[in-house]
Amino acid sequence: MSGLAPIDTITVLAIVAKAAGTGAALLAMGSVLFTVIFASYADASVLRLARRIAIGAAVAGLVVLALRFGIRAARISGMGFEGAVDPMMLGFVWQSPLGDAAIWRGLGEVSVLAVLIPGLGRWIAVAGSFAIAGSFAQIGHSLGDPRGALAIALVIHILAAALWIGALAPLHRAVGVARGAGLLHHFGKVALYGVAVLVATGFALAWMLVGTLLALVSTAYGLGLLVKVLIVCGLLGIAALNKLWLVPALGAGRPGAKRALRRSISVEMIAVVLILLATASLTTVTTPPVNL
Amino acid sequence: MIRFVFLAFVLAIPPAFAAAHSKSAGTTPADGATVAEVSELSMQFDAPMRIISVTLSAADGDIPIERETGTDPVTVFRATPLQDLAPGSYRLDWRGMAADGHPMQGSFSFTKSK
Ligand SMILES: [Cu+2]
Repeated sequence: MSGLAPIDTITVLAIVAKAAGTGAALLAMGSVLFTVIFASYADASVLRLARRIAIGAAVAGLVVLALRFGIRAARISGMGFEGAVDPMMLGFVWQSPLGDAAIWRGLGEVSVLAVLIPGLGRWIAVAGSFAIAGSFAQIGHSLGDPRGALAIALVIHILAAALWIGALAPLHRAVGVARGAGLLHHFGKVALYGVAVLVATGFALAWMLVGTLLALVSTAYGLGLLVKVLIVCGLLGIAALNKLWLVPALGAGRPGAKRALRRSISVEMIAVVLILLATASLTTVTTPPVNL
Repeated sequence: MIRFVFLAFVLAIPPAFAAAHSKSAGTTPADGATVAEVSELSMQFDAPMRIISVTLSAADGDIPIERETGTDPVTVFRATPLQDLAPGSYRLDWRGMAADGHPMQGSFSFTKSK
């Protein structure tokens, strides 16, 4: 198989940190979007949970961002962990696209903290979410051509994924509250558009980055992408199950519906973690086939 | 409406290939080559690459080399061995950062003939 880089301890750390950083960023963006889009449908306790998650994720995201600088410096230096605190190596990383992306990511995550401020604060947090989404378009292979199209597709893809991921915990909470069934039903309708956008942009990105069907099965990057797509398909299946069966059952007050729906949402959360790890591995240890 | 705009957007994207990494475009000596003389070690890249560490090794240990190129991003990296190379096989390992910020590493081998 072509396009697989050697894996060592620091590479594994880099994968975990990237997955954690991406997860935190998605949660921060998604929770903020959730509080804005579903403000009039969700219970106060559900919205409070979403705001808390946004804050926690933004703070975690800032910490991971700092760690990733050290890990990147260690990786390029070849000096092991000593490289993580080497000022010259850190300087090189700062001058690289990761530095630019970190400014957007960091500013965005700090702005998300404004979600606690009533009124205008919400909109500062929304602007922060877009800054975080924009940070994804400045690193990695979305820098290639056609740069504009790749960046737009990636930002839309990220925002759609964020809304879904950020909604999971609040929806899990909503299962037990008074207006929960209404919120879940409304989310199902919004999610239909969200999933369409997610799949379409995912296809567009894969098309631009992989190019051929052969590359999909003959390279490490392509195979990793297939694994990710498989997990996403499973996730879509669960989401469809929720929308078509469990949420109506909850609305009708059928016994056992609450428990089944909660469990189903928990499974979705686990699948999200798997997708994050698969994506982080995909972009850390492999390169798109066109670069070989 | 939103759906239409989106569909138009997706259809408007031309199928193209993304080339992000700087990649190796060749080395001196060439990878796997057998050469009579090694006066210079060099690597060519298609986009600027910041080479941070570079080691030349033989079967019985590392050979000191002098970098002609610093740690600036370059498309041609040059170094010279500080001693005459004895006949045998050698391997050059490097580590660095591609123009897109990605950590990169690579190596090439060559044999010096008698
Ligand atoms: Cu790259």
